[in-house]
Amino acid sequence: MNLKKPGSSKPEPGSYQPVMPRNWWLQHRYFQIYMLREATVLPLLFFIGCLLYGLYCLSLGETQWQHWLAFMAQPWVVLLNLLAFSASLFHAKTFFELFPRVMPLAPPGLMIAGQWLATLLVATGLVLLLGGWL
Amino acid sequence: MSKTINIARYNPQTDSRPQLQAFQVESDNSTSVLDALLQVQQQDPSLGFRWSCRMAICGSCGVMVNGIPKLGCKTFLRDYPDELTVSALAHFNVEKDLIVDMQPFLTHLAAVKPYLINDDQSSQPHRQTPAQLAKYQQFANCINCGLCYSACPQFGLNPEFLGPAAITLAQRYNLDSRDAGKTARMPELNSKNGVWGCTFVGFCSEVCPKKVDPAAAVNQGKVASAGDFIISMFKP
Repeated sequence: MNLKKPGSSKPEPGSYQPVMPRNWWLQHRYFQIYMLREATVLPLLFFIGCLLYGLYCLSLGETQWQHWLAFMAQPWVVLLNLLAFSASLFHAKTFFELFPRVMPLAPPGLMIAGQWLATLLVATGLVLLLGGWL
Repeated sequence: MSKTINIARYNPQTDSRPQLQAFQVESDNSTSVLDALLQVQQQDPSLGFRWSCRMAICGSCGVMVNGIPKLGCKTFLRDYPDELTVSALAHFNVEKDLIVDMQPFLTHLAAVKPYLINDDQSSQPHRQTPAQLAKYQQFANCINCGLCYSACPQFGLNPEFLGPAAITLAQRYNLDSRDAGKTARMPELNSKNGVWGCTFVGFCSEVCPKKVDPAAAVNQGKVASAGDFIISMFKP
């Protein structure tokens, strides 16, 4: 295939070569929701940073661990982590809805319900398992 | 009632870019965008656009209506307020008014070898069970209108991306029990402009007038491509 990239060269004489604006994703709601889905990774990065910092503090001893617990209890950290939590729930919703289309193993409704049930079971299991330590 | 239709006009001999021109058209409950364009052509015979069947079968009359790819014959003025804007399909070069150069789309379709490939020389019909037919039937409903390419930002950003319809067509033949050409099609699908160029925006499936769900086909193609890669690791 020998195709020209828009904007990378002059248009062919006799035709108008459209160029995609940088803000193409603001053009309508469907693209905005898509970008929101992709942007859910940003608050998750913060959450992962918190976790890694926690592990590092744990390796330094109890004083640092207590310091990390105090850090995590600050309102702005709680707020950002709540944002990360809702973002991951939103991402999970979009993922669970797309999955039956990519791997149509069972009726879509059943697959979506199954995925939420599995998430709930794993989350409950983790809370029960780790709950005693916190 | 009378409605205003703004049409992106482009004359390659005089214009550097498309410009909107407003026309008044009469509409009732059954007036389609294509009907409206035909009315405008009565007022201004120089207006250029493609159409043929008027019943969402030929796939010729694709245009952007208020920035969304639509078939002119399947879109009705009753669903829009007093004014609407019609322009040429996005991501394709505009040749005149609403006429675009579909050649990149056709090149991509041909690249995936969209036909049955097998060594069977017999003159007997290839039998297929309803279950075997059901595996690919939805993907065989494509009418090659190109709306999915105008909906796809990945194709807009990289015109070498094979795109929704071509990958769907590849998947349609790969899933066909009468076909043995998957090995010949996979290199194109595995390439950087193949299935992995898709980020599952999913707008292609939203705009598809035949409910083909190209986004599902492309992402099923990713599963096939990953499987192909794993198998290739174990081959000498």
